Amino acid sequence: MNDIAIRMENISKQYNIGASHYRHNTLRDQLMDSLKSAFRRKEQSCSGENNFWALKDVSFEIKQGEIVGIIGHNGAGKSTLLKILSRITEPTDGLGEIYGRVGSLLEVGTGFHPELTGRENIYLNGAIIGMRKEEINRCFDAIVDFAEIDTFIDMPVKRYSSGMYVRLAFAVSAHLKPEILLVDEVLSVGDLRFQRKCMNYAEELRKSGATVVFVSHNMFSIKSICNRVIYLSGGRIQADGLTQEVIPLFEKESRTGYNKHPQAVAGSGSSEPSIHITGMELLDESGVNRAVFNFGERMRVRLSYSAPQGIRDPNFVVALIRSDNVACCNYSTHLDGYSIPSLCGDGTIEVLTPPLKIVSESYSIHVIVWDKSFQQMYCFHKGISFHVQHHLYSTHFGVFHEEGEWVIPDGVVNSRSTDCSGGLPQ
Amino acid sequence: MELTAEITSRKPSAIIQPRKGLFQLNLRDVWNYRELLYFLVWRDVKVRYKQTAIGAAWAIFQPLITMVIFTLLFGKFAKFPSDGIPYPVFAFVALLPWTYFAQALSQSSSSVVGSSNLVTKIYFPRLLIPLAASVAPLVDLFFSLLVLVGLMFWFRITPSLGLLALPLFLVLAILTALSVGLWSSALNVRYRDVGHTIPFLIQVWMYASPVAYPVSMVPERWRLLYSLNPMVGVIEGFRWALIGKRSPDFMAMAISLVMVMVILFGGIVYFKKMERSFADVI
Repeated sequence: MNDIAIRMENISKQYNIGASHYRHNTLRDQLMDSLKSAFRRKEQSCSGENNFWALKDVSFEIKQGEIVGIIGHNGAGKSTLLKILSRITEPTDGLGEIYGRVGSLLEVGTGFHPELTGRENIYLNGAIIGMRKEEINRCFDAIVDFAEIDTFIDMPVKRYSSGMYVRLAFAVSAHLKPEILLVDEVLSVGDLRFQRKCMNYAEELRKSGATVVFVSHNMFSIKSICNRVIYLSGGRIQADGLTQEVIPLFEKESRTGYNKHPQAVAGSGSSEPSIHITGMELLDESGVNRAVFNFGERMRVRLSYSAPQGIRDPNFVVALIRSDNVACCNYSTHLDGYSIPSLCGDGTIEVLTPPLKIVSESYSIHVIVWDKSFQQMYCFHKGISFHVQHHLYSTHFGVFHEEGEWVIPDGVVNSRSTDCSGGLPQ
Repeated sequence: MELTAEITSRKPSAIIQPRKGLFQLNLRDVWNYRELLYFLVWRDVKVRYKQTAIGAAWAIFQPLITMVIFTLLFGKFAKFPSDGIPYPVFAFVALLPWTYFAQALSQSSSSVVGSSNLVTKIYFPRLLIPLAASVAPLVDLFFSLLVLVGLMFWFRITPSLGLLALPLFLVLAILTALSVGLWSSALNVRYRDVGHTIPFLIQVWMYASPVAYPVSMVPERWRLLYSLNPMVGVIEGFRWALIGKRSPDFMAMAISLVMVMVILFGGIVYFKKMERSFADVI
């Protein structure tokens, strides 16, 4: 019991939405509305419908040294929980205890002032995120090195390029050495090099024995650094446990997050979609269900559909979307030269991909059924996710990797190579 | 691993729970964050005259030009009494705390809303925001104090022992600005009307304070009501401490002091109450 870092008991947070006083920005609005509601009181019970629990009875304990990921869909309460943990906002109910010095990074460069120089902003931002002055003095050179901006340190940051700005902002954050670190997913946007730096920083903190609470949408980063995951859904804890146990639950749930967009694109007349995707399976070449594929393996995507009224010229599109929302590739019946004149009733359709050359990451599959000319969308389905594994080809290498053919051409005189050949060791 | 040793004392370093009482002010937290207060003030001071041609000279110009106008209008044309002191000095001494107060109030009023990027992203005692905003304009005050010294040399006025009390009135001026600033900055988060009201309020307030005229011009029977304005005490105090105005209105000063304390305490309580929803409402 002696190594608790964070203890939360029945934390709840209520927001008032709709016709509440939170919406008023002027006194006049408030006066008008209280007048109105005075006359309306009888017909409408005031509480209930306008209140919304962003978090409800959330309890957990986090031990010192744990790296905990908080996952959930949009609006599940992740950010609210993080804001409560970092004391930016108060819970409506419940009790929480925090043991240790907290550093919270909901964004990098909080409080940066454009008119101040890099040097001045290091001190200002450092103080804001909770570093002592002597601590900043001590780390100052390291921060400047890390940000790679030494010659610009005395220039106002408003003249920095956006890259320099972010590097400096992150450099300060990365020298905060708290006992408990709360990080928001905003840190995982930005370029890949930047993300990698974030991950290295989290890893270093982990080694130093710090506790890290990490909110993210990005299952890949969660998997790579967290040993425990809390899965929030609708403001409640849906699951709390080992990463490899909770993430499949979340992904299963995501799959049922069925999304019918019958007429998201202009042109569709009927209100009822003429085709649904009722199921989706990922198989390998031999027909075995899989969620992890090796780089270079082929993948079979099997779709079940239902088209009760029949449909002409459906154009099935299977898109592979990386966890950071990069659309990596599309397979389309129409473009791939497989034409389907018409479909009626229930059935399945399958696409066998060429060897997967996308880099090691987590991807999800989106299925869209269009008409032949991509003008009218019949349905849209956000589907299963899967992983591609390769020991080397990560996102550092780009989106995909395909071998090139290398050659040193004979016809071209290559003076340098002839010059050196004599001097090379035998 | 040194972390482990530090956390063995099993007292939570922070408790998260809804604050119930009105008077749970937790002012010690402000003290713990004093270094951040220093940096916020430092930022405000640094940023203020960046990219201006004459820089800190602005700090002197504003009260100086107002003084010249006042001297012409009220001293020369309207012939206001000035308690036997040359009118320019009489007006300038009052303009020191007044200019400070006007700046501090208008800046602290917009301070919390202006710091929404901080308020929604990180925790620190929110009281620091209006506090820093009301302390930063003191720098301007010190610059104009130098001008006053010059003026006093010119008019051959020597300060009396009352000068020793100047810091007291300085503190009173800060507290006055802070006390009103607490109310207005917290109100401004929810009602942006405050932003439109403050410049007007400051203008009216100046006429209700003895900046251009002496307190003795106010009829005796209104004096008590008049002294409820804390700036009356502050300005009277400045005149007494700096240029040795005879027979200052100690009664007015006492009333001002009490008023400031009441507004300040109320302001802290109100600010702390509103503070809980800042991040949600701002």
